[in-house]
Amino acid sequence: MHEFSLAVEVIHLAEREAEKAMAKTIEEITIEIGDLSGIEANAFESALGLLVKDSVLVNAHINIIKIPGKGRCNSCDFEFEMTQMMVTCPKCNAFPSEISGGQQFRVQSLVVE
Amino acid sequence: MCETCGCGKPVEFKIYDPSHDHDHSHDHTHNHEYPHDHEHNHDHEHSHDHEHEHDAWHSHEHDHDHYNNQSDKRLIDLNIDILSENDRLAQLNRRFFEGRKVLCLNMVSSPGSGKTSILEKTIAALKATHKMSVIEGDQQTPIDANRIEKAGAPAIQINTGSGCHLDARMIDSALKKLDVDAGSILFVENVGNLVCPAMFDLGEFKRVVVISVTEGDDKPLKYPYMFMSSQLCIINKSDLLPWVDFNTEETMKHAHSLNPGLEFIVLSAKTGEGMDLWYDWLARQARSVISPEKV
Repeated sequence: MHEFSLAVEVIHLAEREAEKAMAKTIEEITIEIGDLSGIEANAFESALGLLVKDSVLVNAHINIIKIPGKGRCNSCDFEFEMTQMMVTCPKCNAFPSEISGGQQFRVQSLVVE
Repeated sequence: MCETCGCGKPVEFKIYDPSHDHDHSHDHTHNHEYPHDHEHNHDHEHSHDHEHEHDAWHSHEHDHDHYNNQSDKRLIDLNIDILSENDRLAQLNRRFFEGRKVLCLNMVSSPGSGKTSILEKTIAALKATHKMSVIEGDQQTPIDANRIEKAGAPAIQINTGSGCHLDARMIDSALKKLDVDAGSILFVENVGNLVCPAMFDLGEFKRVVVISVTEGDDKPLKYPYMFMSSQLCIINKSDLLPWVDFNTEETMKHAHSLNPGLEFIVLSAKTGEGMDLWYDWLARQARSVISPEKV
């Protein structure tokens, strides 16, 4: 359950950024979670939901964008949606493929007032 | 919250020093002993006449003329990696190790693969030639740190409570208690867990993943992140190979498909088989950290 500590990190990050921007409130936070980031999006969302109370995000709308994983076949260069690390290329059946997207786990933006 | 830089809320973890009898809890400290930059900026251009705590989120009820006072709703584009704060602290730990020429290895595995046994044997075998110390991570109990001290090396126990991994800040705190000698080897024995510790850089020189032959040769496929982020894989309990259905070649093949550069050592901490390969590997790493020009 590293999602719990990562949710704490998100709150700290939001606190720092809100203070930097001298914002009074945070209305919205947008977080990107890649399918291949190693973060379980549902667990993360539940953890954050529990932790926002008494935090800077208490009234913020939490917007989570899931980014699909992408792979590029090492043999034929075909790019495809990758749901797991260890999959064969859907076009030529070769293995392995390089991960070419969906590994991010970041705070994209805040809406503050 | 850290009163120096305001970087976080109290993190409940305990540090236990077996050389002292008492156990005490920490209210999150992190090491400000060696110099480091705080890269976060507090753009306070105003002065506050009143005193307030930054421990919790607070609203300012007095007027600030920071921007226009109409509708202040703004979109702030950040694109900040959520692990960046841990990575920043890990980088500080790494610089500390580099400066002191300390070989730091982050030992990760599932519970029961034999990390502590490997370290006990290693300390007994190498203590005449290498200075070593250990940071132990477990949810509860000082058992492992006591085992290490008994084997002959100083150890500090971090109990993460409900936490499932060590992070860079915990290592930073432990380093205040543990006197790590220049030119020594520091083993960090992470919490037994093949999932969460993969995400958290501690500032180590290399990451060593330990599996044992009783665990099944599909481990790398099931826990790819850990095998992708490690540089050495130790396959322990080789003395049990005749009695279990563990295919060493298959394991290596699976792990190499994820991480072609991963090295392997097959050994048994119990019988000592293969331990020399591990000691040689350690000596090579120590040389490359302590006197890089000679490698």
